[in-house]
Amino acid sequence: MNSNVTSVKLVLLGEAAVGKSSIVLRFVSNDFSENKEPTIGAAFLTQRVNIGNHTIKFEIWDTAGQERFASLAPMYYRNAQAALVVYDVTKPQSFIKARHWVKELQEQANKGIIIALVGNKADIIEDGEERKVAREEAEKLAEEEGLLFFETSAKTGNNVNETFLAIGEKIPLKNSSSANDQHHDTNNNNNQRIDLDNNPVDAASNAPGCSC
Amino acid sequence: MKSFERRPSVAERRSPFVGSASTNNTPTPMVVPHLAGIEDPVPETTPEKVDVLIAGTGIVESVLAAALAWQGSNVLHIDQNDHYGDTSATLTVDQIKRWVNEVNSGKLAPYSNAKLYVSTNVGRNYKSRDFGVDLSPKLLFANSDLLSILVKSRVHQYLEFQSLSSFHTFENDSFEKLTNSKQEIFTDNNLPLMTKRNLMRFIKFVLNWEAQPEIWEAYSERSIYDFLTEKFKLDKAQTFELIFSIGLCYNIETVTPKALQRIRRYLTSFDVYGPFPVMYSKYGGSGEVSQGFCRSAAVGGATYKLNDKLIDYNPETKIATFKDGSKVTVMEKVIMSPTQAPEGCANIPKQQFEIHRLICIVEKTCNQWFADGESAAVVVFPPGSLKSNNTQVVQAVIQGSNSETCPRGTSIWYLTSAEQGPRGEIDLDAALEALENSLLRETSQDIVNDSDIVQVGPEGQTIINSVKLGQSFKEYVPREKLNFLMKFYFTQHTSTPPFNIVASSLFDMQDDNRLIPGASDNGIIYTPMPSAEISYDEVVTAAKVLYEKIVGSDDDFFDVDFEDEDDNAMTNNPDYENAIASNSDEDIAMGDSGEPVGEMEI
Repeated sequence: MNSNVTSVKLVLLGEAAVGKSSIVLRFVSNDFSENKEPTIGAAFLTQRVNIGNHTIKFEIWDTAGQERFASLAPMYYRNAQAALVVYDVTKPQSFIKARHWVKELQEQANKGIIIALVGNKADIIEDGEERKVAREEAEKLAEEEGLLFFETSAKTGNNVNETFLAIGEKIPLKNSSSANDQHHDTNNNNNQRIDLDNNPVDAASNAPGCSC
Repeated sequence: MKSFERRPSVAERRSPFVGSASTNNTPTPMVVPHLAGIEDPVPETTPEKVDVLIAGTGIVESVLAAALAWQGSNVLHIDQNDHYGDTSATLTVDQIKRWVNEVNSGKLAPYSNAKLYVSTNVGRNYKSRDFGVDLSPKLLFANSDLLSILVKSRVHQYLEFQSLSSFHTFENDSFEKLTNSKQEIFTDNNLPLMTKRNLMRFIKFVLNWEAQPEIWEAYSERSIYDFLTEKFKLDKAQTFELIFSIGLCYNIETVTPKALQRIRRYLTSFDVYGPFPVMYSKYGGSGEVSQGFCRSAAVGGATYKLNDKLIDYNPETKIATFKDGSKVTVMEKVIMSPTQAPEGCANIPKQQFEIHRLICIVEKTCNQWFADGESAAVVVFPPGSLKSNNTQVVQAVIQGSNSETCPRGTSIWYLTSAEQGPRGEIDLDAALEALENSLLRETSQDIVNDSDIVQVGPEGQTIINSVKLGQSFKEYVPREKLNFLMKFYFTQHTSTPPFNIVASSLFDMQDDNRLIPGASDNGIIYTPMPSAEISYDEVVTAAKVLYEKIVGSDDDFFDVDFEDEDDNAMTNNPDYENAIASNSDEDIAMGDSGEPVGEMEI
């Protein structure tokens, strides 16, 4: 059992049909960490990744279609520590949209958010279809904006886990007390946060009352 | 209406998922299958046909949208604004500026008389989006129907809640009495033993008051003040605290049963999640909660479209036409917030009651009003406590920067009055002045050395004699001035009487068959405007009534179960009814256990 678990909110962005959901589906469906079934809830998907002594628990927020009519809520970006900006290597338009999302994240999201630029559907190229977004072009964008960059295939699983691992490795871990001091404010707030899943009174004395 | 066939739930209607993860087991109908919400994106275009169209993303509409989406209805949820929240929105300063212009140009009929002052410091030292200001500030009681729905729907996972345990009553020009907890009543050394006994007797009674009509029946039409002073021999100070701080009632005339219900609400919420009765969501109140339910609805399959407005609905062809020219066929119902009504509408329920709100951002922390580790407080100005000689209460919610709704060194004050007519604004001004003076006195540097007030304790520590401090305050005029970054006043109109929660009769009046010739909104059901109520108490009630109008019954309102790792025995229990038992049942159950008073000692 790993005691150091860091929860990381990761948001997905990208044009429709570039494979955002497939990438996540591939990631959470893989028997990727400690033989644990991925958990699928109503709120977001979670998947754990072990990095050294640490476990990163990704809380993955899908856009749930709310990006379609420019209707993503501020809540979506809030406190996101990581983002996948996905485009389709065979669709130049989706790469233009990816630039837009990177800009949007830099404006809306926390400073220090880790952004991974992901060119998906790399498998199609291997099948002979034409690549329309040059690898160099994406690498250049990643370099300029300080993004991680991967070309993936959600279909074959190629580079999917690597993408999440690379994000995980860049996540600052909260283990030492000195790190806590630096983030004094944040910790204060976290201490104030109420865990509604943890309801000692309900669990103990009032449980019989509920079954009447 | 009850004869409606229940529509299949999402899980029942969804075709089996084709993919790598779904082959393992067939989900039972009650369980949302694996990978809900991450299926392939739906096409870019607006659907041609939906079951329900909802206009306005306020909290009632958002809870309704999520309930319908998870029930299996095909929902299109729109808002004329470019942001979520509508009547419950959390706005930046720039958004408030635009909102005020809309109100004053008559485009938002349920609001009037909007006035705004914004300091030039916003834009210079502060950014507009550093602030999140609620149009409808609300507090969440720890034992409440909305909280059950938040947990059940997992929407709470999108939100962060913080506790609020400081309730101050303003009397004699100062905060004479602070109620940090009900225990404090009993540990207060200034209270005579007899008073404590009477208080104890009352609290035991009120936790289970409905079962003891012999005690209160004679007072069922009379005021809570008479009941407490005559039946329980309580002094004015305790009575006021029970009525206004704990019960959050609006005047002394509040009838006994209603006030008892409200007092119990506080007491049964205390110690549910910790030593506090209420919570609020970080980053903004009902605006955040609305966004959370909208996201949940989207995950459940609802389509979202901001920046679009219904311009016409034809109840015969069932075709709704939007500002952008698109059309959609609405198979069942159109639900709409009064703020989003199309031009030429004629069916909006009368919004005959006023709520006055004054929202200020001050360049000062108010930490002395907050309990340790908290960043918010409630200040209540009972009738007669203000210079304006108010007959109705003024309630203030104070939020500090840890609520993440304002930057460090600033606070937001929400003052609300349900007084009708021009007096409402006068009362709010008086309450603001009282708050301002109290804050300046408490934080002023130039009186601390008064030897009468500051004494040295046995171990050399400084003790401030608060009684003397309070007395000297009365004549004290602070030299400092408080910097206001924003002053924002408006009147909101509602069909809900002051401090009532929405009555289902409102919806009965909106007869589906009534057609007004030429009206653009025939066949549309309007949602209620927010009431003056400080809690979220009306939200679930209103959403449920609307849900029943659409689905035919509210039996399966949020009847969903999610496969979460945090699942415990209770949420896996197939018998869901008890988990969201009606509020009163739950309260009785808690009262029966007698637990909440167990730890108090005299």
